[in-house]
Amino acid sequence: MTAIAPAARPLSRRLGNVIRLHMANPFTIFLTPLLVVSAIFAINWMIWWIIRTLTPNDPDSVANVSAGFQYSGATLWIFVYMMVIAIMAMNLTFSFALGFGSTRRDFIVGSGLTFMGLAAAYSVVYILLAAVEAWTGGWGVGGSMFNSIYFGIDSPWWLRLFHVFALFVFFFAIGSAFGAMYVRYKARGLILFFSVLSIGILGGAALLTVSGSWPAVGTFFATVGFTGAYALSLIVSAIAGLAGYLILRRATPRS
Amino acid sequence: MTAVVEVRDLTKHYGKVHAVDGVSFQLEENRITGLLGRNGAGKTTLMSLLTAQEFASSGSIEVFGASPLENAAVLQQLCFIKESQKYPDDFKVKHVLRTAPWFFPHWDQRFADRLVTEFRLPLDGRMKKISRGQFSAVGVVVGLASRAPLTFFDEPYLGLDAVARQLFYDRLLEDYAEHPRTVVLSTHLIDEVSDLLEHVLVIDSGKLLVDSAADELRGSAATVVGGREAVDRFVGTREVLHRDGIGGLASVTVAGLDDAERAAARSAGLELGQVSLQQLVVRLTSGTATDFTEELSA
Repeated sequence: MTAIAPAARPLSRRLGNVIRLHMANPFTIFLTPLLVVSAIFAINWMIWWIIRTLTPNDPDSVANVSAGFQYSGATLWIFVYMMVIAIMAMNLTFSFALGFGSTRRDFIVGSGLTFMGLAAAYSVVYILLAAVEAWTGGWGVGGSMFNSIYFGIDSPWWLRLFHVFALFVFFFAIGSAFGAMYVRYKARGLILFFSVLSIGILGGAALLTVSGSWPAVGTFFATVGFTGAYALSLIVSAIAGLAGYLILRRATPRS
Repeated sequence: MTAVVEVRDLTKHYGKVHAVDGVSFQLEENRITGLLGRNGAGKTTLMSLLTAQEFASSGSIEVFGASPLENAAVLQQLCFIKESQKYPDDFKVKHVLRTAPWFFPHWDQRFADRLVTEFRLPLDGRMKKISRGQFSAVGVVVGLASRAPLTFFDEPYLGLDAVARQLFYDRLLEDYAEHPRTVVLSTHLIDEVSDLLEHVLVIDSGKLLVDSAADELRGSAATVVGGREAVDRFVGTREVLHRDGIGGLASVTVAGLDDAERAAARSAGLELGQVSLQQLVVRLTSGTATDFTEELSA
């Protein structure tokens, strides 16, 4: 005779548990990034204020300076931070969740939902801050941190929202893939992967150079445009996400 | 008798190393089983296989009547507390205790709170920073309060002091009496847990040496002490598990004595000593004495 387990909890409950698990310590996932953004903002604001004070007061100079601020990469670190969050989640939170009886599938799907949710939430915050920035005339000093050329200054807000969202998704996805690789294939697997990737990229570049195809690459990106390029990144993200799923499906938690 | 785990011809190898090698056994429901063996014997691998953390190379595993692999219904009945458990980098003790009830359907919060007090756990301590003993205690608290129908403790008390270990044994027995469940306990401190164990599995080099009730195992050997000549005469051609001697005195551990043999030994002026579980396991796993181990597991 064999004892039989009662039915599993509903899928929504299991996925919800994984999502809650990722957010169990809100410091890491919300407060720390927001505090760092605030600190960077404060420092930037002081610099803007100094430059603004030293700038001649004619409209041309002021506009020039403001345009220059739009090249600010002050917020780009947060994307890398989110990649690290994804890597850590795949490595440590994966082990932890399996120790608590989660299936790999539930963990991976729940993590994907968590990351999509975080990407959406942070994109909205980003675009809201951009709106406040524009509305206050660059925080009163013509500064620019959230209206950045990397997300399209002239695009309507909903397109910029899409750009920011796509970039968050991209970093979460490749972070998940790297983290999964590390769990399954250890450091050696990552080294091998990056070696092959580097050779592939350099080989591709060499091929483009030899065949004189660089202008065609330029034309391609000019054709797909800013939004098109971000849309294409979603394909890369989807591949990375799928790879992460397949790799982790057969992975053993590291001990 | 109801089995909660049924393992058939289970093998797990890493390259050429056979961590678990053709193992078959059953675990009966609501019993405390000791999984004993030396370092690297395959205890952790075996438990990782039963909890679907590892993938078997061959053989079959049924837990609650089904393969545990990616099986949410089965896995939510399990709790695997291992000495090397990883925690998210930013987790404090309180985060572990906050998240555990979401995953274990039988979690008892009052019991958990009581254990936290008794083990003096620092709720705000980071899992990375707290002492080894406190780290282990977190696992012990989760393992006990989860009340999982099948709970695995893999070396649960590394770094725990004697008081905390005793507390663990006491709470485990108390709670087990009130809420019967199946417990698998792997440990090196065999003497300490000897009284807890109802069943014993001994594994060495990936192979199952012993699968026997604890009482049976304890009675399966005895030490005969006395004058060398008298001892030798009594032992005769019996299976000798271990032999010690000083001068004219000898102490010989032999396999399985029945009541008549025991009486014969006493009338020959020999003293009979009990062999502890720990001594037995040490003797079973320290040499290449495969002939008598087969007899014990038969």
